Amino acid sequence: MTFLLVMKKDLRLFVRDARFLATLGLFSASLVLILSVAFGPVFTEPPRLAAATVWAALFFAGVLGLTRSLELEGESGAGDALRLSGADAFSLYLGKTLANFALLAAVFILLLPLTAIFFDVGTLQALPGVLGVAALALIGYSAWGTLFAALARGLQARELLLSVLLFPSLVPLWIGAVKLTHAYWGGVPVAEVKDWLKVMAVMDVLGLALAAWLYEAVQEAGE
Amino acid sequence: MILRAEAVTKRFDDRPVLSRASLTLEPGQVVHVAGPNGSGKTTLARILGTLLPPDEGEVLVDDVPLSERRSQTRRLIGFASHAPLLYLSLTPVENLEFFARLAGARDGRRRALALLERFGLEQAAHRPLAHFSRGMLQRVVLCRALLLDPQLLILDEPYAGLDDAGILVVNQVLAEIRKQGRTALLIAHDKERGGGVITRAVRLRNGRVEDA
Repeated sequence: MTFLLVMKKDLRLFVRDARFLATLGLFSASLVLILSVAFGPVFTEPPRLAAATVWAALFFAGVLGLTRSLELEGESGAGDALRLSGADAFSLYLGKTLANFALLAAVFILLLPLTAIFFDVGTLQALPGVLGVAALALIGYSAWGTLFAALARGLQARELLLSVLLFPSLVPLWIGAVKLTHAYWGGVPVAEVKDWLKVMAVMDVLGLALAAWLYEAVQEAGE
Repeated sequence: MILRAEAVTKRFDDRPVLSRASLTLEPGQVVHVAGPNGSGKTTLARILGTLLPPDEGEVLVDDVPLSERRSQTRRLIGFASHAPLLYLSLTPVENLEFFARLAGARDGRRRALALLERFGLEQAAHRPLAHFSRGMLQRVVLCRALLLDPQLLILDEPYAGLDDAGILVVNQVLAEIRKQGRTALLIAHDKERGGGVITRAVRLRNGRVEDA
């Protein structure tokens, strides 16, 4: 199971990089705190503001995480060793995508209680729905993000390019995530926005399919 | 395995580094490549190592274009270069076991430990590479290159940072490769360090390979 090996290796590298994890955690938590202060102390529509805040924080945290994930391969040329292993390119991609998903899921788990406390939103009843939306959004984000991060590899302004590529491509995913989270937190009836689940699922499948088609070419075009 | 570069050209920013360079590596050969800095030695090694595609010309593996059997060929090549091609936050055992299993070797840990012992690194096997000296890191780099008993071993400046004992081990490895009918490409400024194991010497001049 090549992809499990790669995922395990990436997670091990993330865990050993305490400075990166601290930066990621503090940055995303600070963003939620700052936005809650900016929108408060009396919130006009807490579910909407909270949903927008948590997904904005995740987007920027994700750019940091995805950039770091690709740096792991570039720092000492280990990406070349991955290629030299002769392992299937899509398996390598899948392993990295799963590791990125786990990292972003951990950030989401950190932000969820913070957002619930600062914005006074969410109930235990809504939790499974919100987690389901987060899973759909983060699968898509990791799938597209890992592919785009590989495209931006080696460029000096890779964080900027990654944001420029990711944001417009993932607009349907972000809109769906914000609208559905807003609904689960009691803003509007879920039935009104449930079609966004289909949009998000299509984005996830599209991202993975695009990577299956392109990742090997992107990987080999690193020079 | 016979690896042949035919009239290979490679340019960086329109500057030709290799210009219709040809080289054939045959079983049982240990080929030394010399040349001044910037002459294209590392570029040639990366092209033969499947890491860099040529702009023109072709690389053939047993007369089949490399592009048609890249994955299979990669499993037969051991490659060591200036960059460690390792994860510095991981230990030598973790690195070697990961790369061995990635290439399909189920006994990755056993291979890793055996190679580390051979290179005198058993005491440091469980320390992160980030704490290693240049010479120790170079030994782990060589372990990675040898991990899958490669048919072709490409060593780009393998002696850099090594002490006398390390140099001796590299030359023993090269002697074994020759004896077993496998192939090695050795890039080193000082040919003398290769001892008596070199069977052919070539030189890169004006982007072409010439017999030295």
